[in-house]
Amino acid sequence: MEHRSFSLIRSEPRKVRWIWLVYLVLYAVAIPWYWPADYVGPIVLGFPLWVATTLLAILVLAIWTAFVIHRFWLVDDEEELADG
Amino acid sequence: MGEEALVFGPGALIAVGLYLVSMIGVGYYARSKRQGNSMADFYLAGRSLGLTVLFLTLYATQYSGNTLFGYTGKTYRIGFEWTVSILFMFSIIVGYLLFAPRLVQLARKEGFITPGDYISYRFKSKALTLLSTVLMIYALCNYTLAQLKAMGAAVEGITNGAVPSAYGIVALAIIMVIYETLGGMRSVAWTDVIQGVVLLIGFALLVVIVPSQLGGGLDRVVEKLSAMDPPKVQVPDWQGINTWISYVFLLGCGAAIYPQAIQRLYASRSLAVLKRSLMWMSFMPLTTTLIAMVCGLTAIVALPGLEKGETDQVLARVLALIMAQSEMGYWLVVVIFAAALAALMSTADSALLSISSMFTRDIYQPYMKPDSSEEHMTMVGKVFSWVAVVILVGVAIVTEKTLVRLLELKFEVLIQVVPCFFLGLYWKGLSRQTALAGMLAGLAVALGLTWSGNRLPWGFHAGVLGLFVNFSVCAVGTWLRPAVLEEL
Repeated sequence: MEHRSFSLIRSEPRKVRWIWLVYLVLYAVAIPWYWPADYVGPIVLGFPLWVATTLLAILVLAIWTAFVIHRFWLVDDEEELADG
Repeated sequence: MGEEALVFGPGALIAVGLYLVSMIGVGYYARSKRQGNSMADFYLAGRSLGLTVLFLTLYATQYSGNTLFGYTGKTYRIGFEWTVSILFMFSIIVGYLLFAPRLVQLARKEGFITPGDYISYRFKSKALTLLSTVLMIYALCNYTLAQLKAMGAAVEGITNGAVPSAYGIVALAIIMVIYETLGGMRSVAWTDVIQGVVLLIGFALLVVIVPSQLGGGLDRVVEKLSAMDPPKVQVPDWQGINTWISYVFLLGCGAAIYPQAIQRLYASRSLAVLKRSLMWMSFMPLTTTLIAMVCGLTAIVALPGLEKGETDQVLARVLALIMAQSEMGYWLVVVIFAAALAALMSTADSALLSISSMFTRDIYQPYMKPDSSEEHMTMVGKVFSWVAVVILVGVAIVTEKTLVRLLELKFEVLIQVVPCFFLGLYWKGLSRQTALAGMLAGLAVALGLTWSGNRLPWGFHAGVLGLFVNFSVCAVGTWLRPAVLEEL
């Protein structure tokens, strides 16, 4: 496989391991495995506490992803792609 | 309450009709803007999509009729457990991060048009490219079928049965295929701009109107639901948690390699544009899927006691209730209905364009006419779009399945192509034989479990267990028998 074509890439998220550790932690909060069985909890902004926690974790995941794309997906000239 | 029908008057029907006809106008305009008869111009809009168009076409394509009809129905059936839909729709963007940076660079350098172009370039295997293409076409046909069926149901509903479902499917499919064959990706992406904006307005109206008018506000809805049906408010059990994890893999991997999504990555004007579009897309589940879930929750309280088969029409019934309340409610529902049509058509037209490109580029050209010109290929693609629409419309009219069920079955097979992208782009040692063996093993597990009635063993989707086997075969195969350099 020809790998010279990737020489333009300065940084890509997949290669930065700690990014995925942060994802692991955020997903572990977003997936509601840690609540007691049949838990509902108080209502927060219209949602049961476990749902509100998941939604907040998804919002943080989205902000984190936007940051990762902006900061860790880098090529030498991002506009150059247009010219091939 | 609950017996009102979602029936439109002549004024509303004319408005919806004009909206649909305007799509053909966009198709003509797109045709006038073409740069030539090449496949890249027809199927990828000449790789020229800017930020607004790329973002709205990604959005309108990703959020389909399933989001509006299937997800409200699923929430009606299982309650807050469907919060997972917001997480898995977000996970698609994380899926892109695992392969898109390399794929877009390579695609631009090598001039890829289809996902099959990449597989053929990377593995140089006709068998692997053909099998992947067949799986992707199967998945997209399934996806398009779900959209067509929902279009038929929607048209039948608003005309109170005066226009039967079959006629609705035929009429909307014809409009779609006309604008698609007129301008290809340019038509589809530009109609997606209109459809995406209508979809955003529709969801904004839904979240403002539905919980407040029908349930007395979200707090009140949750309070009533807790009293009526406590399991729908409670945290999922361990099997439910496994299903959450499984959905994250199923959609995060599967939907990220949707051919129409990959072709949008190829079609961006620049990397800066693509990055910004994906950053915005990260937030869209919170403004779209979450709203569909809130509507489904409100429906449990406002329209209790619907049978399972009726639940995919729950949104239509909710809208019928709002429409009956006031003149303003009536016109708001007309806009929301236009958004529903937008969701269905924008997804179906993109899938159809991808099916046409994959058939032409990955099956017709290599196996039927290897020396054909770009003009000839583009023409064959247009003819194939019409043939595909005729077949799919025929099947849509005679089959019966709920929307979410159709969605899951297509992912069971599509997801088996994932290692070719996620591993193939990074593991030099992954050989064509190992990738093919992994794909076949994954398919055998996914289809074997599904056909033997074990669709969700321990809460995991059969396709996700198949993917695990697929990845394992790829890892062991690469370790034991890495590809030799000449092969790469």
